[in-house]
This record gives sequence, structure tokens and C-alpha cells, in this order.
Amino acid sequence: MSGKERLAIFPSRGAQMLMKARLKGAQKGHSLLKKKADALQMRFRQILGKIIETKTLMGEVMKEAAFSLAEAKFTTGSGFNDNILQNVEKAKFKIRTKKDNVAGVTLPVFESYQDGGDTYEFTGLARGGQQFAKLKKNYHKAVVLLVELASLQTSFVTLDEVIKITNRRVNAIEHVIIPRIERTLAYIVSELDELEREEFYRLKKIQDKKRIARKKTEDAKAALQKSGVVLEQPANMLDEQDKDLLF
Amino acid sequence: MLGSFFNIDGGYLEGLCRGFKCGILKQADYLNLVQCETLEDLKLHLQGTDYGNFLANEPSPLAVSVIDDKLREKLVIEFQHMRNHAVEPLSTFLDFITYSYMIDNIILLITGTLHQRPISELIPKCHPLGSFEQMEAIHVAATPAELYNAVLVDTPLAPFFVDCISEQDLDEMNIEIIRNTLYKAYLEAFFAFCKDLGGTTAESMCEILAFEADRRAIIITINSFGTELTKDDRVKLYPKVGKLYPDGLAALARADDYEQVKAVAEYYAEYRALFEGAGNNPGEKTLEDKFFEHEVRFNIVTLPTTVF
Repeated sequence: MSGKERLAIFPSRGAQMLMKARLKGAQKGHSLLKKKADALQMRFRQILGKIIETKTLMGEVMKEAAFSLAEAKFTTGSGFNDNILQNVEKAKFKIRTKKDNVAGVTLPVFESYQDGGDTYEFTGLARGGQQFAKLKKNYHKAVVLLVELASLQTSFVTLDEVIKITNRRVNAIEHVIIPRIERTLAYIVSELDELEREEFYRLKKIQDKKRIARKKTEDAKAALQKSGVVLEQPANMLDEQDKDLLF
Repeated sequence: MLGSFFNIDGGYLEGLCRGFKCGILKQADYLNLVQCETLEDLKLHLQGTDYGNFLANEPSPLAVSVIDDKLREKLVIEFQHMRNHAVEPLSTFLDFITYSYMIDNIILLITGTLHQRPISELIPKCHPLGSFEQMEAIHVAATPAELYNAVLVDTPLAPFFVDCISEQDLDEMNIEIIRNTLYKAYLEAFFAFCKDLGGTTAESMCEILAFEADRRAIIITINSFGTELTKDDRVKLYPKVGKLYPDGLAALARADDYEQVKAVAEYYAEYRALFEGAGNNPGEKTLEDKFFEHEVRFNIVTLPTTVF
């Protein structure tokens, strides 16, 4: 964890303006990301609830389907299983994938559809036909539920990943980026203050020196006047010394 | 005096059969089995019955398919023992029983061959009671018609094919339709055989076969509502050996929904009774359940009732 780090930057007013802008940007980004994370969390909880519901329903449906399989086996003898397996050619029940968008995250959604008629409509024509119809219905229900459960679980996993990433980013901004920028700002401000103080001190020192120099020349002048030698020195053109405009 | 000659051919097998009958699970056994919580309990309970230690060599954990296989094996061994000791006409009778399993096996093999499955995969899935020598040779054929010409012509089922299915039919017809057509021919042949034998055989077996024929006709009709099966095709599947022949079958051929079928059944006392209590709501017995019960009642009647 970075402790007292700040950005390496030359402290100047321009840099300070830059840093202020960046801080603002970071704060805005943080609030936006937080909103995204909250929206994702809400969707996540929703999906979780639905998964639990679907799974309990699934348990019952599978139980019923397995029992109807046992009933059909009892009525017709267990040979039909192999017959059906041998007869399989093309899938009659297919799945399409669609995309669903939640707060910028694309989630895959599976949609099932029937393709083609019922090849097994004559199975059990002479015996056990009703059991077969029930069996087909039950297993169809079970498969539809399974598809739903599959799409819920994939979105669950994807959402989980994205939520982790987003939360990581939010925390990073909150605990690393913003403090760093703030520290940099504080450093710049302190440096600028120090520079100002140095300037001030320099000026004061110069003033002092000037005062002492002036005092010295005036003392020398007074001493000379006292000794009766008045040396009126004409203005020396070579000795141009412009009076300081400021002091 | 016929009774005294019976034991020469059939005495041993009759004794065996009575023994098997006594070994069938009773109501008390079923109550016990229902109380079981796991498959191991089931195995333990079965050891106390006539089934004995048929599961003794199986490694745990037991699976339902293993129990199923072992039970079937036991049945097959007992049946083949009886078949091996049988002479005419009992041997033909027992053969007829195996023909229905053979039909199932052939249908399975045809379907598998059509979809290019290797023969080694299909053979283990066949019912052992229905095996015949030419089973291994099936893979040489690519279409059902070839299959027929090469293999099926030599099996005991050939006459069933000849009567009602032509070569093109085999290629075009839906596999289930073929199965039902074969079964119809089989029922009619079985019926003719039993009638020839006369005596008690004719009495009891013809009853059972007539009921089976009628039941198939009714169930096929009901199940074909809402499918692509046309009325003409349907008529070809009705066996002509039941009480419904010829008027009932003609009426069934015209039926369009369940109510009409029920109306046809009204003319026949015992079938009317079966339609009475049946329904499709949960909790009610379905029509097929009622037919099943009726058939079982027939079978009980044929069991030897003498106490010894």
C-alpha cells in the first residue's frame, strides 16, 4: 500500500491547476463507478433469487420426470430406451444465444426453441402411449428449466467478475488515486508558499543591504562635510546608477 | 384317459412350473420391499424369497440397472431350461412366446443398422429371450429391404413379414408402424396355433389373445389421435382375432376422438366396464392401467388352481 507517495511533478501554478482538474475528474469517475457497481449488485441479487427459485423447482421437476420414466419402463418393458437412442439424428430442441445489457455489461441469455416435428410420436403406439406422452412432456419441461438455469448461472458468473473488477476500481480510486492527487496538490501548494517566502526573504535582504549601503555613503558624506572638504563631485556619466524604481 | 399320457411329455415341466408359481412374490413380500430404504435392504429382503442369492456376486454399490439385468438373466435361464425340455406342441408354444421379444430385437437392429451403429453395440441391447442365430449377420445389410432378403427370410418371423409388408414398405414405413404390423401378424398366428391345439389351451389362450388384440386396437386408435397416422394405416394395425372383429374394428377405424371410441366400447360389456373408471386426471386410473389390470386377471385364471 503506497504510503506518502505523490506524483513527481514540478511545482508551479500551472501544475496546480492541472492537479485540481485531475482531482475533480477522479471524483466524478469515482461516483459514476460507484453507481455502476450498485446497479450491478442489484441485478446480481435479483439473479441469485431467481436461481434459488429455479433450482428448487428443478429438483421437483426432475423427480417427476424420473418417476414418469420408471412408469413408462414398467408399462412397456425397458427396451424402448435403446430404440430411442438409436433413432437420434438431429436435435429437435435447440438453443439460441442473445445478449442482454445491464449497466454496460453484456450478459449472454439462452433461448430455447423447437426445430422440427416430433419423431417419436409413434413410440408406444400400442402400449404405454399415454405414459410416453407424459414422459415426453415432463422431460421437455425439465430441459426448458435447465436451459433457463444455465443462462441464469452464466450471467451470475459474468456479473460476479464484473462486480469484482468494478469494486476494485472504485476502491483504487477512493484509496489510492484521490489521496495521491490530494497529496500532490498539498505538496505543490506548500512548495509555492515556500517559494513565495523565499522571494519575500530575498527582497527583504536586498532592502536591508540597500539601507546599509545608503547609510554608509551618507555617513561618509557627513564625515567629509565635517572635515571641511566639500567635494562636490560632478555627476559622473560613467557612474550611471539608476535609482531603483521600487525602493 | 388323456390325463395319464400327459405326464410322459409334460409332467416334469408342470412340476417345475408349479414350483415357479409358488415362488412368485406375495403381497407380504411387496409390503416388505416397500419398507426398504436402500438397494442393499432390497437385496437382503430378496434373499429371503425364492429369488435367493441372485445378487450375491455383485459388488456394492448396487445399481438399479444391475438388479434389472440379473433378474432378466434369471428369467431367461429358467425359460430356456423349460424350452430345452419341451417337446411338441409345447416347444412351439414356448417359441411363440419368444417371438414377441424377437420382434422387438429385430426392430432395434433395423433402427441401429439404418443409423450405421456397429453391430457389437446393438447385440448386447437385445432381449436375450428373443435372440436368434442370424442376429450376428445383420450388419451386412444397409437398408431394411436388404436386411429382409439376406437375414430375416430365414428366421421364424419371416411369415409375419410376408403377410403384410412388402419390400418397399420396409424402407418407407416408420419403424414403429413396422413393429405394430409384425405384432399383428404374430398375434393372429399365435391365435390360430392355440385354436388348433384345442382343449384347455384354446379356451384360456384364445381369451387372453382376443383381449390383447382388442386392447391393442383400442389403444392404437386412442394414441393415434393427433399424430400423422391416417385411418387407413390404422386399420392395417388392428389384429383380427379379438371380439371387436369385424364390426368393432370397422367402427374404430372411423373414430375421430376418445368419445367415439368409448361409444364403440359400449357394445361390449367388459370393455365398457373398463372405460367407466378411467380418466386422464391425476389420481384416476388411466385407461391403460385398467386394461393392464384386466389382463392380469386373465393370467391369474390360467394359473393352475389345484392346491397340492
